[in-house]
Amino acid sequence: MHGVIKKPGRFLFGIGEKILGLAFGSRLNPLHALGSLSFFMFWIVAVSGLYLYIFFDTSINGAYQSIESLTVSQWYLGGVMRSLHRYASDAMVVLVFLHMLREYVYDRYRGARWYSWSTGFPLVWLMYAAGIGGYWLVWDELAQYIATTTAEWFDWLPLYSEPMARNFMSQASIDDRLFSLLVFLHIGVPLFMLLGMWIHIERIANPASNPPRELAWGSLLALIVLSLFKPAVSQPPANLDISVTTLPIDWFYLYFYPLIERWSPGTVWALLLGVSLLLAVLPWLPRKKDPPAARVDLSNCNGCKLCFDDCPYDAVTMVPRTDGLPYTEQALVDPDLCVACGICAGACPTSTPYRRKTALVPGIDMPSLTISSLRDQVLQASAALDGKSRVMVFSCEHGKRVTEAGVDTAVIELPCISALPPSFIDFVLSRGHADGIYLSGCKDGACYHRFGIDWMSERLDRKRDPRLRQRIPRQRIGCNWRRAPDLFYDSAESFRESLAGLESGIGSVELSVHKGLPKDRGEAS
Amino acid sequence: MSLIEWRDDFELGIADVDHEHRQLIDLINELHTALAENNSSEQLQDFLGEVYARMAAHFALEERVMRELDYDEYVQHKDDHEQLLDGLRDIMDKYEDEQEYSDAEMASHLNSWFGNHFKSMDARFHQFLEKQGE
Repeated sequence: MHGVIKKPGRFLFGIGEKILGLAFGSRLNPLHALGSLSFFMFWIVAVSGLYLYIFFDTSINGAYQSIESLTVSQWYLGGVMRSLHRYASDAMVVLVFLHMLREYVYDRYRGARWYSWSTGFPLVWLMYAAGIGGYWLVWDELAQYIATTTAEWFDWLPLYSEPMARNFMSQASIDDRLFSLLVFLHIGVPLFMLLGMWIHIERIANPASNPPRELAWGSLLALIVLSLFKPAVSQPPANLDISVTTLPIDWFYLYFYPLIERWSPGTVWALLLGVSLLLAVLPWLPRKKDPPAARVDLSNCNGCKLCFDDCPYDAVTMVPRTDGLPYTEQALVDPDLCVACGICAGACPTSTPYRRKTALVPGIDMPSLTISSLRDQVLQASAALDGKSRVMVFSCEHGKRVTEAGVDTAVIELPCISALPPSFIDFVLSRGHADGIYLSGCKDGACYHRFGIDWMSERLDRKRDPRLRQRIPRQRIGCNWRRAPDLFYDSAESFRESLAGLESGIGSVELSVHKGLPKDRGEAS
Repeated sequence: MSLIEWRDDFELGIADVDHEHRQLIDLINELHTALAENNSSEQLQDFLGEVYARMAAHFALEERVMRELDYDEYVQHKDDHEQLLDGLRDIMDKYEDEQEYSDAEMASHLNSWFGNHFKSMDARFHQFLEKQGE
């Protein structure tokens, strides 16, 4: 059933990402930074809101006037701040919904990832409470409409002994205290939201809470330009003695308000609560069963922390040693957080396929695809390969499926491209198990396991441990992501063609010469 | 006969690192002894595969300790580790291809490498630690 939404959703996001990718490139693609851009919008709203607060008069008669004079007489700063406050809030709504939708269609909200989903969607309620409250403060005709409609809406609930709507019967029935309360809520709710945002990203490693700098400045600039050319303005002042007939509303925040009148408050409550309930249980409809969690083998773990550094889900923590060996720490896996992506096993320095003297058990391993069984798969695949330019493809199961398997192409599937220890690349190429290695990962910037492509690119670039050995000729490695431009090939086939003219031979370091430091530095006594 | 003898001045005073240094030296000496008895290429490969994994893990740990202590010559030391691993891989491939090797040549490789790294790089780290302790 999910497929009805997810499949076309993925297709549409794919098109959007492609188009925006042409304009922004992969690193700055806004669709790859929806969450962090939402955070950024929050900060714009917060800063501009603080500025507005300085000038805001919390009284019935003063509220409208104070905002109006700020907008008109201080158009260059106060007016811009007001418009930024408004437009960044609108942008946040769009970004947040796209963020939710994208995580949903790419299936990144279930299994161990339920937490981010379940702590994320309630923030939408807070965002709306804060946003709608903001419109109220302006105390123009739109605010009047919101006040009366909200009162009608809430009065449907059996909460108050006296109908709330009575407060908004006439100009005389409201007082200044209402505005103090509204300001208090308009500041308090976002503070709660900030706490919620922190909780939302608390359980993942290296959360992207800031968008790339260029993207942030670009968005801010775009909002400032919009603010200057189309400043946010008020409607005529509210007058409860006159009923409002027509007025333009903010469709980002107030789209369901007309429904309250057209249908009934109860129906709208049922609709919103129903949707919320659906979102709340979504990660368990159906529940996603991740393969068994990563397993630490203490006899092979010295507490080097490479798995801890690379785990995208904070599932690995370092704890004091328990086995009496003279190491200070050991890795510990929280099975509730582990999604079995295998990145940890790919990072473990003991995951080297040359180990034969002892069983090939790394310090941390995936029961669903052990490093030892990965070596078996490589050897089997290699035995079946034939031809002049034999390519071994390591393919992420979440990326584009490589279907080119044939007599000169072997395909080995991995839960994530970074589940492949770089020493396997060395192994395959230097032992002649294939003539080239093609790595097929997720789409650029849209890695299912967050950092699979990043970590692998850095390992290949020798910027992240465990590094690919220098001795391996890079021309024998291809990949399908543009993040590593010198290795990029459209397909395994186009990569194979590039192998044809290469000279054989591997190895770069002179055998007998080991260059240590010059002798005059630090010679042992 | 041991190829490399553990010396007290190798001791850095960091329990994890010292433990692994000893283990590595034991492993290399074990390799040396085993090869004296049976110098099959297979046995050599098995040992070197083990040495490679242990060295890679040891370097990862040592580098972590160095980063945490803000060791001033971290970059050079790290480079040397990378070169040692590349060199070891070269040796592994060389003997895989040639199927025969000279015991003396192997001993000199291992000795020149570990000996040099211990004597120059690790000793420099040792000095750094001593200065910090003062």
